[in-house]
Amino acid sequence: MSDDIILALRKATKLYAGVPAIENVDFELRRGEIHALVGENGAGKSTLTKVMAGVVALTSGKMEVDGVEATPRTPLEARHLGIAMVFQENSLVPTMTVAQNLFLGQEKFYNRLRGIYIAAQQFLQSLNFDVTPTATVGMLGAAKKQMVEIARAVLHEAKVIIFDEPTATLTPEEKKYFFDLVRDLKRRGVSIVFISHALEEALVLADRITVLRDGKHVVTDDAAKFDRARIVQAMVGRDLSNTLYGLRKNSVRPAGARVLTVQNLKMAPMVKNNSLSVFAGQITGVFGLVGAGRTETFKVVAGVLKRDFFHGGEVILHGKPVRYRVPAPAVRAGIAYVTEDRKVEGFFETMSVARNIYLGLLAKLPGGRFFLSSREADQVGKSWVERLKVRATGNDIKVVELSGGNQQKVVIAKSLVQEPDLIIFDEPTRGVDVGAIVEIHELIQRLADEGKAVVMISSYLPEIMALSDRILVSRQGKVVEEFSALDATEEKIMYAAVH
Amino acid sequence: MIAALKTFTDRLLGRGEATITVPSFDGALKPNQILEKAEIVGQFDAPEDLATDGKTLYIADGMALLRLDGTATAELRRFDRPITALCCLPDGGIAVALDGREVQVFASPSAPSPTLTFSDSTMMAINALTPGPGQTLIATDGSTSRPYRQWVHDLMDRGRTGRVLVLDLESRSIRTLASGLGYAFGVCASGSDLFVSESWRHRVIALGADGSQRTVLEHLPVYPSRLSPAASGGFWLTAFTARTQLVEFVLRENAYRRRMMTEIDPEYWIAPKLKSGQSFLEPMQGAHIKTMGVVKPWAPPRSYGLVIRLDAEGVPLYAVHSRVDGVNHGVVAAVEMDGSLFAIAKGPGRLLRMRLAGIEQELRA
Repeated sequence: MSDDIILALRKATKLYAGVPAIENVDFELRRGEIHALVGENGAGKSTLTKVMAGVVALTSGKMEVDGVEATPRTPLEARHLGIAMVFQENSLVPTMTVAQNLFLGQEKFYNRLRGIYIAAQQFLQSLNFDVTPTATVGMLGAAKKQMVEIARAVLHEAKVIIFDEPTATLTPEEKKYFFDLVRDLKRRGVSIVFISHALEEALVLADRITVLRDGKHVVTDDAAKFDRARIVQAMVGRDLSNTLYGLRKNSVRPAGARVLTVQNLKMAPMVKNNSLSVFAGQITGVFGLVGAGRTETFKVVAGVLKRDFFHGGEVILHGKPVRYRVPAPAVRAGIAYVTEDRKVEGFFETMSVARNIYLGLLAKLPGGRFFLSSREADQVGKSWVERLKVRATGNDIKVVELSGGNQQKVVIAKSLVQEPDLIIFDEPTRGVDVGAIVEIHELIQRLADEGKAVVMISSYLPEIMALSDRILVSRQGKVVEEFSALDATEEKIMYAAVH
Repeated sequence: MIAALKTFTDRLLGRGEATITVPSFDGALKPNQILEKAEIVGQFDAPEDLATDGKTLYIADGMALLRLDGTATAELRRFDRPITALCCLPDGGIAVALDGREVQVFASPSAPSPTLTFSDSTMMAINALTPGPGQTLIATDGSTSRPYRQWVHDLMDRGRTGRVLVLDLESRSIRTLASGLGYAFGVCASGSDLFVSESWRHRVIALGADGSQRTVLEHLPVYPSRLSPAASGGFWLTAFTARTQLVEFVLRENAYRRRMMTEIDPEYWIAPKLKSGQSFLEPMQGAHIKTMGVVKPWAPPRSYGLVIRLDAEGVPLYAVHSRVDGVNHGVVAAVEMDGSLFAIAKGPGRLLRMRLAGIEQELRA
């Protein structure tokens, strides 16, 4: 084995109940390189990295660290080997301070809190992280939490840091900052493995890219030898030239009747005098940086959040002012909100796919049902699983056991079963693999073609540009610009979102 | 008692009737500068309405009825009172409303005397005319309590006395088709229905032959005015100014409004205007300010110019604007003729022309 290789997996196989999550995968990580791991949901990326981080053990095959065979059985053992993992759902304790989280597990017999804060401050400054060590983690934004996670990994003197979807919750500015940080870690000699669904990130940041498909290794090559098309081809093993990204629109759907009007909506401090309209038969894309008040505005519309008590503005649905204090009446009025945070708000993860979808239907019924019909639940579930091509081995499979893309389809099915007139998709393809993205995009287009009013909130500009008929740009709590998809450019949209 | 409590809580919390909000200009109403950049065909003292028989454009300018010949105008007739509405009839005749109180029908634009005169003591603010089904003429009477020139007084009175009248040319009778409207200001036939714009309710309604009402377009961010048919189907709807939260607020503050009407010169009321920027005494909404000497085009408008293109169902397709920093405000009439849209900007007293091909090209760009 070459000295250049810090971590390697040989013929790695991991079986879950006899089903291989990864099978005979060979993987090598060079010293001081940034290695991107890409693949569809269910391709085995997470399993592969969890093996490296000691979260799961291999069924067969072996792992080598610095040329020596190693079998970390816990994350702690992996950490002792110099391997740290930054999870997609961060593993920080929200009620503790940043400093306490940094030194968690390294406490001495007698801890002087002030000393911990000073050490944390010095350490964070050395990394050029603008995070206050005394801040409670629960109060931090996604980017800052990410920074704390990274700082903890560096503090543990990790030689290998694994990032699972590190940029999914970051704003464009925060992403740029994160990229600089990763490059800085590389300069310090740290090897980086990162999983990302945003292929452009892999192309920009990585030295080498490994593509996995269906648990098998497909290709590893220098990033310079890849382009988007080659990665996608390797990921899905089929031609996805019908993907919408990058295509310039030459027509948009005409606006139908005005379905929703938001007038001077206020929800301090996120929504400030926001006004907008949504029309039937069109996809209204809403773009903005994190904190622009997009999600909050539409959560008020859907009754998930409440507007300001005094002079909070107006929401007008089909010409009539409405004020929903809870989501149920909004659902009955024909509003469906597909959440951006599916794991927290989207489904009951230990319930079956069919029962989750059936719950969506029950939410539509006034007063609910006294007796629930398992047969009806199965029928409804089966019908929507087929319609949305949810890849599940059965209706009774738990949602938590599905891949991200299929979980998202369940969340969408749960809303569509309500037959809404107005469907609000909040980051519909976040954390979803390329194949499922195409299917979800086709579904969104189909809904608009059927005459539904569709709102799509997204932070991903190519998605906004590819799908929307009209694009609203939100900044500092209100819509500041509107573009037709015909005359919008990424530069114009981003300029409006920032300036 | 409950109603009184509801009124009180609504006013306290800013809800229900006391919600002080205005819709935004978005979708088909997305602002542009097309109306502001329109060709100026002519400058007039008091232009009010337009009519066309498909070949010739007629202009009501104060007491004069004018005909547009190329870029010049010829006076056809002068009345003793200002013309408040004008329309061409299918048989080649022309109808004019005088001072909002009388409608005269002429066999031709150059006929020496009217063949019919409709006059009724209740007629107060006839502001739009259109040919109706059979031998009828449809008129909108904005208010039965205020004359046409006092339209802003009617708004501040929160007038709801607008009517749609059917003037029967055969029996010479007048029939009220609808009443209680919030300043009816524009009418146009749509199949068997009539589309009527209600300025103070910011909407367009469809009236059936039996007087039944259906809302076609509502929650407009403007005060809609006259309607005219578009050659390719649908309508042109003009709007003489845009709504602001300040005016909406004043309209809910009865005591303040009454005092303002008593003590302040109407020129400086907190009310919509057909033109603005004439005096530093004009009231302004916060943000209606100049930055570095330039009026912000997105500031809350005291006056505004807008023509909306509607399809046959009344759904807006697009609009041409003269924004806050523009001049072509107070658009009260627009008609389509020879592939061009002619509009009257009453604020500056202009007749404007926009080629339809040019509008579509600009909107595409």
